[in-house]
Amino acid sequence: MRKIVKLLAISLAMLVLAAPAFAGKLESIKAAGVLKAGVKDSQVPFGYVDEKTSKIVGFEIDLVQALADKLGVKLDVKPVTSATRIPMLTQGDIDIIAATMTHKKEREDQIDFSITYFQTGQKLLVKKDGGVKSVADLAGKKVGSAKGSTSEQNVKKAQPECTVVSFETYPEAFLALKQGKVQAVTTDESILLGLKNSDEKPGDYEIVGEYISPEPYGLGLVENDSDFRDFVNLTLMELWETGKFQAMYNKWFGEDTPNYIPLNWQMELWP
Amino acid sequence: MRWDVVANNLQYFLLGAWPNGELGGLAMTILLALGGIFGAFWLGLLVGLFRMSRSGLLRWPAFAYIEIIRGTPLLMVIFWFYFLAPVLLGHSLPGSYSALCALIVFTSAYIAEIVRAGVLSLPKGQMEAARSTGLTRGQAMRHVILPQALFNMIPSFVNQFVSLTKDTSLAFIIGVNELTKAATQVNNRTMNAPTEIFIAIALLYFVICYVLTAFSRRLEKKLVRYQARGR
Amino acid sequence: MAYSFDFGLVVSGEYGEWLRQGLLTTLHISAISIVGSLLLGTLVAVLRLSRITPLVWGSAAFTEFFRNTPLLVQIFFWYFGSYSVLPDFVNQWLYQRDFEFAAGVIALTVYTAAFIAEDIRSGVFAIPKTQLEASRATGLSFLQAMRYVILPQAFRIIIPPLISQFLNLVKNSSLVMAVGVMELTYMARQIEAYTFHGLEAFTVSTLMYLSISLVISFAVNMYNKRVLKIAPR
Repeated sequence: MRKIVKLLAISLAMLVLAAPAFAGKLESIKAAGVLKAGVKDSQVPFGYVDEKTSKIVGFEIDLVQALADKLGVKLDVKPVTSATRIPMLTQGDIDIIAATMTHKKEREDQIDFSITYFQTGQKLLVKKDGGVKSVADLAGKKVGSAKGSTSEQNVKKAQPECTVVSFETYPEAFLALKQGKVQAVTTDESILLGLKNSDEKPGDYEIVGEYISPEPYGLGLVENDSDFRDFVNLTLMELWETGKFQAMYNKWFGEDTPNYIPLNWQMELWP
Repeated sequence: MRWDVVANNLQYFLLGAWPNGELGGLAMTILLALGGIFGAFWLGLLVGLFRMSRSGLLRWPAFAYIEIIRGTPLLMVIFWFYFLAPVLLGHSLPGSYSALCALIVFTSAYIAEIVRAGVLSLPKGQMEAARSTGLTRGQAMRHVILPQALFNMIPSFVNQFVSLTKDTSLAFIIGVNELTKAATQVNNRTMNAPTEIFIAIALLYFVICYVLTAFSRRLEKKLVRYQARGR
Repeated sequence: MAYSFDFGLVVSGEYGEWLRQGLLTTLHISAISIVGSLLLGTLVAVLRLSRITPLVWGSAAFTEFFRNTPLLVQIFFWYFGSYSVLPDFVNQWLYQRDFEFAAGVIALTVYTAAFIAEDIRSGVFAIPKTQLEASRATGLSFLQAMRYVILPQAFRIIIPPLISQFLNLVKNSSLVMAVGVMELTYMARQIEAYTFHGLEAFTVSTLMYLSISLVISFAVNMYNKRVLKIAPR
């Protein structure tokens, strides 16, 4: 009996003592030798599990890999969802979020953002003969989205007459669309394109409507750590200026990929 | 039907990305269940003993602990650990640790009740006889009452283990890479065989749980016979 | 990490209304599933006791399978899997309605029914065999004997375990949030995502679950005390 109590006391004490000393992210990542990045694990082509290697790959993984290379540390990717990514970052589970996250003002209260590394906008993915062509047609219909995403909140504002059904991930929302349980899936065009193309018959679906909202993606960083933020921003710019960013982009979104999106925007470059 | 999707991903369901990457799938489920039952047994035993203590200082907190945990959905307990731990500890726990802690705390409340039921089901004379031989209450509990009570309670422990194994599926909600998570990952990528995938993993869970249930039933029958002989 | 609690945020205004709606949905889905699982569970138990081999096997398989697989997996199965199991027109008809809710009800009902069937079966076993024989001897059929003699007695014994199954059902209903049913846990999670004040939302919703549980377990204790004359231990 006494042994158990002692054991419990010791483990409790260890938990408390294990709290890390306060240091900048840049130093703590270098000291640990690992950059822990929160990424999507089922979002073609941003981040998804490759069937052959069972490893998470994608555009955002390449991007954080470049950051890790620059730091000279190992990359450790951790799957996150739209609902878990911000808590995981603020809790220190991960050092950086690269998970199709829109840079929103409200999120600035919790975390900081890098400069924009991807630009897209929110649209609707529908069945070709489903009768939905725009946000106006959604009145009285069900729309699928993901919990904790901006898309969920935007579409409710744009069309208060629709019912939003939120899933853990977008592919689940797409599956519901496929099976006819919702009449549209709404999120960023780039994600919708990935969903559509991952289906066996992409021709059955189309992306419709005006942009409901612009969606610039930024990497999520811990609040108030300007050294680390500078490092990330400067590295992103360097990748763009040296053409490495464009190469990475073309690997996942180029003309000869199924997820073709022309690169029609410029990264913010500081002189 | 697209059973080929299940066949292609069977290794991922069983082991996750291991040995090339992180362990996951059914192996992670089993690890969570084993770690969970081990932790929950000791914590539950402690709480159960406190619950039966004659000191109100131990009894009432244990009572409150058991009632609060048993009145709360496991999912809530998991969210609590996931969101509160960092506020309390000042640093975060990885998803699998939060899930494991939540499973241990949740299951321990049920184990505590099993322990208590086991001790109370023994004839009162046992304690009295043990005390009359000069043992203290603690010694009598440790050497006479608990060994018998715990032995009788083995089937209940196994049943609790079955519940726990099923409960590990909830860890998926906070992103732990266990069997249910592996299934949704594959489902999300392929999107053409949800029925087959969920039937397949239901069967994997079923095999483990059913074997354990059957084992507990046989044990129960044996124990009944053993006790009947003893009387 | 500094965390400032703001309970006003989640008990009043828009977010308070969300939690209230969530609680109502939890109570709604639980109530329907309780009735459903009681009916289905009784049916399965009667089949299991019927001594007609295929029925016994079928109902045994039903209880074993659904008791020994996680509810969450079953919820996913009914939600995403029913598509290729049910005929298309049935699916389309269902999808026009609140299918998330319906799938949740089906999953909770079937899962709980499997446990209830076992509770009823052991309740019936607790009634001496001679009761059935005696009532059969008075000319009652098997079903009549069950209906008028055995089940009324058995139910008296199995009411406490039955109620704790209902209690489990209320707690288990939190899992249907995984397929987008907007019940209490879903709403708490939603508030967490919108406001980052999850702890308050989780506190309030935990208290709501706790009050439901405490009311129910109080009722069980009273029943044990008054009807079965067992002192609560």
